[in-house]
Amino acid sequence: MTVMTRTWDRLTLPGKALFILIPLLAVLTLGLVITLALFGQQILDILVFNLPIVRFVFAVTVLMLIFVPMAFVIIYMEMKIIALMNLRMGPDRVGPWGTLLSTIHGLKVLMKEDFTPSGADAVVFTWAPVVVFSTAVLSAMVLPFAPGLYGQDFNIGLLYFFAVGGMTVVGLLMGGWSSFNKYSLIGGIRSAAQIVSYEIPLTLSVVGLVILAGTMSLNTIVEQQGLSGWATDWYAFRQPLGFLIFAIAATAEANRTPFDLTEADSEIVAGFATEYSGMRFGFFFFAEYINVFIISAITVVLFLGGWNAPFPVPHIAWELNPGTLGIGLLLLLAIVPVVATLVFALPFYLFRSKTRWWVALILGFVMFNVVAGGLLSLWAYINFDWVAGLFWFTAKAFGLVFLFVWMRGTLPRVRIDQLMGFAWKWLLPAALVNLFVTALAVMVIDVLNGGAA
Amino acid sequence: MATETPPRPTAEPRPTGEPKPAPKGTHRSEDDPNVLLQDDYDFYEPIPPYAPRTEREAEFYTLGDGEMFLNMGPQHPSTHGVLRVVLKLDGERVVDIDPVLGYLHRGVEKLVENADYHQTISQVDPLEYISSLFCEWAPVTAYERLLDVEVPRRAEYIRVLSGELNRISSHALFLGWFALDLGGLTPILWSFIERDEIVEMLAALTGQRMLFNYFRIGGVNGDLNHEFMSRLGDWMSRAASQLEAGMGLLNENEIFVRRASGLGVVDRETALRYCMTGPNLRATGVPFDLRRTHPYSIYPELDFDIPTRSEGDCLARYLVRMEEIKQSLRIIDQCLEQMPDGPIMAKLPRLIRPRPGRAWAAVEGPRGVYGAYAISDGSDQPFRLKIHDPSFIHLQAVGALLPGHLLADTMAIMASLDPIMGGVDK
Amino acid sequence: MDKALARRLEARFESVLHGPARQRHDQTEIRIGAGDVQEVLRALHDEPDLDFRMLADLAGVDTGTEMQVVYHLWSATTSDWLRVITEGLSREDPRVPSVTFLWQGAEWMERETYDMFGITFEGNRDLRRIYMPPDYTSFPLRKDFYLPDDAARSPGAGVRHVERTQSPVDAAPGVLRQTRA
Repeated sequence: MTVMTRTWDRLTLPGKALFILIPLLAVLTLGLVITLALFGQQILDILVFNLPIVRFVFAVTVLMLIFVPMAFVIIYMEMKIIALMNLRMGPDRVGPWGTLLSTIHGLKVLMKEDFTPSGADAVVFTWAPVVVFSTAVLSAMVLPFAPGLYGQDFNIGLLYFFAVGGMTVVGLLMGGWSSFNKYSLIGGIRSAAQIVSYEIPLTLSVVGLVILAGTMSLNTIVEQQGLSGWATDWYAFRQPLGFLIFAIAATAEANRTPFDLTEADSEIVAGFATEYSGMRFGFFFFAEYINVFIISAITVVLFLGGWNAPFPVPHIAWELNPGTLGIGLLLLLAIVPVVATLVFALPFYLFRSKTRWWVALILGFVMFNVVAGGLLSLWAYINFDWVAGLFWFTAKAFGLVFLFVWMRGTLPRVRIDQLMGFAWKWLLPAALVNLFVTALAVMVIDVLNGGAA
Repeated sequence: MATETPPRPTAEPRPTGEPKPAPKGTHRSEDDPNVLLQDDYDFYEPIPPYAPRTEREAEFYTLGDGEMFLNMGPQHPSTHGVLRVVLKLDGERVVDIDPVLGYLHRGVEKLVENADYHQTISQVDPLEYISSLFCEWAPVTAYERLLDVEVPRRAEYIRVLSGELNRISSHALFLGWFALDLGGLTPILWSFIERDEIVEMLAALTGQRMLFNYFRIGGVNGDLNHEFMSRLGDWMSRAASQLEAGMGLLNENEIFVRRASGLGVVDRETALRYCMTGPNLRATGVPFDLRRTHPYSIYPELDFDIPTRSEGDCLARYLVRMEEIKQSLRIIDQCLEQMPDGPIMAKLPRLIRPRPGRAWAAVEGPRGVYGAYAISDGSDQPFRLKIHDPSFIHLQAVGALLPGHLLADTMAIMASLDPIMGGVDK
Repeated sequence: MDKALARRLEARFESVLHGPARQRHDQTEIRIGAGDVQEVLRALHDEPDLDFRMLADLAGVDTGTEMQVVYHLWSATTSDWLRVITEGLSREDPRVPSVTFLWQGAEWMERETYDMFGITFEGNRDLRRIYMPPDYTSFPLRKDFYLPDDAARSPGAGVRHVERTQSPVDAAPGVLRQTRA
C-alpha cells in the first residue's frame, strides 16, 4: 500500500495523467474492436436506417465546433475595427496583432465564478443562455454555405429559419425575467417588443422574393441566383426595396447598433445580461456574435447570391494527376521544399547585409509555405466547387459583418419609440407595397407571356 | 503642549468556530455567517428605509398605479461621476425623479476655512475638474477684491487665454459625453484628440494636465513659455478644421439630430426661475453671458459674439456649445495678437491678511456662472468662502426637464446640461 | 459702482433696511431682517425699475454670533451685483422664509444651506439634507463644528501656523472667533 502510494506520489502531473489514460484507452480500444467485430453490421444498419438523424447530429456538432472560433474572429474584428475607427490601437498584446485576445476572453469567462443572484428563478435563469445559443446554432442548420455543404435542405427552409431564429426572443425574455433585476427585466421586455415587431417586416420583405423564386428552399434560391453567372441575377437587384427592408430589420433582429436597445449600456447597464457572469454570460455573448454572422449569411443567401461569384469565373483546366509522375513525385516532394526555401531565402540574405543566414532561411521557409499554400488553395478553388463556393460565401458574409461593425462604430442609438414607430409606420407598409408590386408584376408578366392568370 | 491622542481602535479578531446565535429578530446569512439579516427582510423593501422627512419626499416615494422605482447609480455606467438618481417609472416613461447627492462631497467650504488664502486655490481646483481654471478664477478674483489689488494686464490676458483654452477642452469633452449617452461610441474618442492637445498645452504652461492650480492672487503662476506657445501655434493652425470634423460626425447624423431635437425642452421663463446660467440658459434665447453682460477682466476689449438659440432643447444646448468653441478660438486669436508685455504678478506680501469685508466675484465658465463669495475677518484664512457652482443648479433642473420622457433619454438630458459631479457635490 | 442704485434702494426699502446701502467695487449691499425677506425679494424681482430676475447665489453664513442668509442678485438695469444680507438669525433656531416661490432653483441652494448650517427655510417643501446622510445630526459649516481629523488635534499641531484651526482644542464652548465683517 505504502509502496504504491509513494510511487504514485513521485509521478509528475502528466505522468499521472498518462498512467491513467493509457490503460483506459487500451481497454476502450479493445472494447471497440470487439464490439465492431461482433455487432459492426448491425450498427451500420442502424446508422443507415436513421440517416437523417445521424446527419442532423453530425451537422449540429460541426456547426457548434465552427461557431465558437467564428465568434472569436468576429469579436476580434469588432474590437480591432472599432478601435481603428476610434483612432485607438485596439488589442495588440495577446498573439500577433492581438489576434488571440478574444480567445483569452473566452477562457476568462470559462474560469469566472458563475453565480445565481438570490431571488432569481434559478431554473429559468440557467436555461436562458442555453436557449439563446442553441437557437442560434439550430437556425444555421439550413444555411447553404457552399454547393453540397449544408446541414439540411428543407423545402420550407426559409420558414424554418425565421421560426427557429425568432425563438431567440424566448431566451432573452427568460434571462430578463428570471434575473430579478429591473434593468434585466426592461432589457428582456424591450427585446421581446423589438424582435416581435421587426419579425413582421423581416418576414414580409422576403415574401416578394419567395414569389419570384417559387420556392422556400434556400439551396434552390441560391442556385437561381447563379444561373447566368453575373451579379445581376442576385435578388438584391430584383428586389431592391425588399433588400433594404430586410437589411434594416435584420439589424434590429440581431440587436445591433443602432438598434441595440436591449443591451444599451448607457441606459440599462447590460439589459437582460446584467446579472449573468461566467460562461452563462459567455453563451449570451457568443450567441450575439454568432447571430451577427447568421444574419449576414442569410442576407447573402437570399439577396447577394449565396455561394455564387459575382462574375463568371473563367474555367481553367488545371488537372493534377500525381500518379503519372511515378517515382518523380517522391523526388519532387523531397527536393522542391529545399530548393524553394533556398531560392526564397536568397533575396533576404543578399539585399540586406544585416540579415543573418538563418533568419533568411526561416523567412524563406515561411515564404515557401505561403506560396505553396496559395497555390494549393488556387488548385482547390479551381477543382472543387465547394471550395470556390465557400470562399465567395465567406467573403460576402464577412463583408456584411464588417458593415455591422462599421455601423456600430458610427451611429448613435435610436430611442424605443422611434424604433417601434419606424417598424410599424415605415417598414411594414413598405414591405406590403413591395409584396403587392412584386405579385402584380409577376401576374402581369404571366399574362403577357400567355400563361393562365 | 501634550495633547492626549485617543487610542486607535484595533480591529477585533475574527471570531472562530461556531458563530454566536443571532440576536432575536435576525438570522445569519447562509452565504456568509458574519452577515446578519433581518427575519422579515423582504426583497420588496420600500426605499428609502426611513420615514419620509418632507412632504415632497413622501409624495415621491409613494407609488401610483403601475409605477415602479428604478435606482440608477451610483455604479451605473453612464451617470457622470458618482450620482444616484431614483427614477419613478411608468413602463419606460419617467414620472418623477429624485437625485441623491453627496457621494463626492468633500466639504470643500470647510476645508477652505481651515487653510491659508493661497492654499484655498488648490482646494477649489478639483471642484469642476473638467474646467479647473474657472474654479480658481472666481475665488481668486474675490480675494483680489478683498485686497483691492490691481492685476497686471499681461496676467489678465494670460488668464483669458488659458481660460478660453480650457473652455474649448471642456466643450470638446461635452460633445463626446453627450454622444456617448446617446449610444455613439466614436465621437468621445475623436473629441479627446482636441482635449488632449489642449491639456498637454496647459500642462506645459501650468505644470499639470487637469488640476492646474495656476492662478494666483494678483496674477498667474508662470509666464508663457516656449513649449506652450509652439504647441498652441501648431494647434491653432488646424483647430478649426479638426473641430469641424469632430462635429460633422454628429451635426449631420440623422439619428443624432432626431433624438436630440425636441428633447428636454425648457423655456426662458422656466430657465430663469431655475437659476440656470451659461449655455443652457443661452439655448433658451436669453443672451446672458457675464463676459458681456457684466464684463470682467479684459473681455470688454475683445471682439466676440454670444451665440444663442431659441429652441431650448438638447440639440440647441449642444449647438450653442459648439458655436462657443468657435468664439473661443476667436478670443484666443485676439489674445495672442494683443498680448502686452509686463509683469504677471501684482506686488503682494507673501502672507495675506485682507481687511475685514465681503466680496463676491463671478466668472462665466463653460457651464455657467461660477461664483465665489468670500468673507474676510482680517486673519490669514478666509472666514467663509461660498462656492456657487453651475453644475449644482443645472442638475436640479433635470427634475423639471425629465418627467414625460423615456428612460433612454434620462442620461441624454442630464448630459446635455453637462453637470460635473465634483462641482455638484463640492 | 452704481450710486443711483443705492439711492433707489434706500428710497424704496427705507422702512426695512438695517442701515444704509454699502457699496464696494461692483457690489451693492443691503441688510434686512428675516421677516422682510419675502417682501423685499418679491419687490426686487417684480418691479420693472429694479427687475432683479436672476438669483446668482444663496449662501448661509455663520458669523459666530448669529446666522445670515446672503442672496446675490443680478439685473440688467444696473451694472452692480446686488447683495441682500438677511441678518440677525438666532444660532439656536435660525428661520427664514423660502424664496422658492420666486426662484424654483433656490430649492437646492436652500437645502444645501439647511444641510450645512441648519437654517430652516419656511415654505421650502423639500427641505432635507442634500449632501450629508439622512441620519446625520450636526451642521458641518457652523463655526462650532470641528473636523474630526483636524490638524490642531493631531500630535503635529502647532508645527505650522497655517494648518491650525481657528479655535484651540480646549476652548470653552462659547468662545468662538467673531467676525468684524
